[in-house]
Amino acid sequence: MAEVLGSFEQAVLLAVVRLDDEAYGRAILKEVQARLKREVAAGAVHATLSRLDHKGLLVSRLGPGTEIRAGRPRRFYSISASGRRALNDARAVVDHLWRGFRWPLKGAL
Amino acid sequence: MTEPRPPHWAEAFLHLLLAREHRQTVSGDLLEEYRENIHPRRGQVAADRWYVGQVAGFVFSGNWLWAALFSGSFIARTALDWFVPTSDFSARSKVSTAIAVAILLCAGFRAAWQSGLVRSGLLAGIATTFLSAVISAIGTGCLLAMRHDAATFAAIQGSGGLAEVFTLPILLVIPGMLLGALGGMLGGIAGKSIPHRQS
Repeated sequence: MAEVLGSFEQAVLLAVVRLDDEAYGRAILKEVQARLKREVAAGAVHATLSRLDHKGLLVSRLGPGTEIRAGRPRRFYSISASGRRALNDARAVVDHLWRGFRWPLKGAL
Repeated sequence: MTEPRPPHWAEAFLHLLLAREHRQTVSGDLLEEYRENIHPRRGQVAADRWYVGQVAGFVFSGNWLWAALFSGSFIARTALDWFVPTSDFSARSKVSTAIAVAILLCAGFRAAWQSGLVRSGLLAGIATTFLSAVISAIGTGCLLAMRHDAATFAAIQGSGGLAEVFTLPILLVIPGMLLGALGGMLGGIAGKSIPHRQS
């Protein structure tokens, strides 16, 4: 059984997959904000990236800095095999829960 | 033209909050967003406010667990004193003080061990006690809302009164700072002998 992911962890992992070679901290933050349609604190994304990295669901490498960053390097993330497995499992669980329903649900509460 | 810069003190705070392997990359990410997006759209004052808000987010995400433990132990002790009154508080005081000291030392230790900076422990101590003062005030208010009969008020008076319960968490910021700094010193020493995991 792969790692069980929370919805924010899924949002971050999917942002990493979508951004592919361009998945570094700021780009991931903007992608997560765009997908969730709300402001997200950089600290929340950083904490999640660190946790996923620590669990082995992500791998990271350092890239060169730029002038606008005062020469500070970028950390680029990519998804690991276990990260991919965890995302697939998360999607399978949701699909299983929704089996037999038509979306969106209709009718009175 | 010189590039705009966020407040120096906020950048220094951010450095204290980050593990050493993330210090340059994360502060670079925030600086890039500040210069490329926030400052041109919002201007200096609002951009600085945004940056400080982001740093506050790092303070919260780095210390909320310690603050939850610290305020949890404070609220539990308050509930015990109010709902199971006693005339001899010495045993309870010893236990709750030991728990509080342990939490603050651990907060300081971990922060300094991760960042490699002893000062991070001091900041962790302040942040933990400050956040827990807010949580404790809310928690104590909830306890009061749950039970406010005559017997409970008598127990409150017998255990130091309402004013003490609401002011003590704020006063703990100073010992919190000192214990965080002590934990930070230990974390700094440990960080040199047991290196923090590098990603």
